Amino acid sequence: MNTLLSLVPEAFETIVRILGALLCLGGIGICLRLLFIRETDMAEGRFVRRAHVNLPTVEYYKLMAFAGLLALPVAAALVANYHVFEGVHEVSACGQCHVMRPMMNDLRDPNSQTLAARHFQNKLIPEQQCYNCHADYGFRGSLEAKMDGYRHLARYVTGTNTEPIRFRGIFDNHNCLRCHQGTAKFVRVASHHTVAAHLETSEMSCLNCHGKAHPSRGQRTPGSPDYERLMAKEAG
Amino acid sequence: MNLRVEAGGAILAFIITGLFVVWPNPYFMALFSFFAQPLFVIVIVLYLHRVFRELRAKGIV
Repeated sequence: MNTLLSLVPEAFETIVRILGALLCLGGIGICLRLLFIRETDMAEGRFVRRAHVNLPTVEYYKLMAFAGLLALPVAAALVANYHVFEGVHEVSACGQCHVMRPMMNDLRDPNSQTLAARHFQNKLIPEQQCYNCHADYGFRGSLEAKMDGYRHLARYVTGTNTEPIRFRGIFDNHNCLRCHQGTAKFVRVASHHTVAAHLETSEMSCLNCHGKAHPSRGQRTPGSPDYERLMAKEAG
Repeated sequence: MNLRVEAGGAILAFIITGLFVVWPNPYFMALFSFFAQPLFVIVIVLYLHRVFRELRAKGIV
């Protein structure tokens, strides 16, 4: 299934979008009918004819209530949660919050030496570059990361965040190790074996030796010489 | 069967969810996550409460 979806990600996204819109429109239509229902519509002995089937009005409205107040809300919420957890895999999705723009612009800067930019320049991660290193946010990620994501979202939309943003938690090294661990290049480095236990528990950050992942807080501070360049919109 | 409150709540939640699905952005995402989704849960709970009350009144459950 995943292979199939990866072949047609854009088409799948469009299908999900259309399906979501149809579910919501259907739900609104049914609920509007329920909202303006009259006592006389529910009178005994009245029938509704739909597709060659005669249904007592009361039963018909009960079916509508089941669809509009239970089945469609569940379906619409599932489709919308696809966007919450899976739709955010694209770099452009992360860049929709302007505080993320410095990371996105730096990633694509051919002259940058940050870890993220070097991965991008060498095509080590061909797509979904943000998500591949921050995989905890997706559907299969940890609950802690999801709570963090909701906190970030709440702070962003309420304007209670301050620039430059900073990562409060501890970055899970498994985001790096799931690609690098066991590769010939990784195994060849003696210090990886020395600190293996610390890397495994994320007690020691990969960045201690491999440099910063993104532009520094100083560079991302409004008013700094790099701020305007990092915030340029056209790179998005 | 008066389900006006539930239907009104569901319409509001459907509108927000629809906007988020068609134009996903941080603001609609926040509205969906913190308002529409809990509203759907409230609507479903109120609806199921009605259903069980009716079934109990009929002696089915």
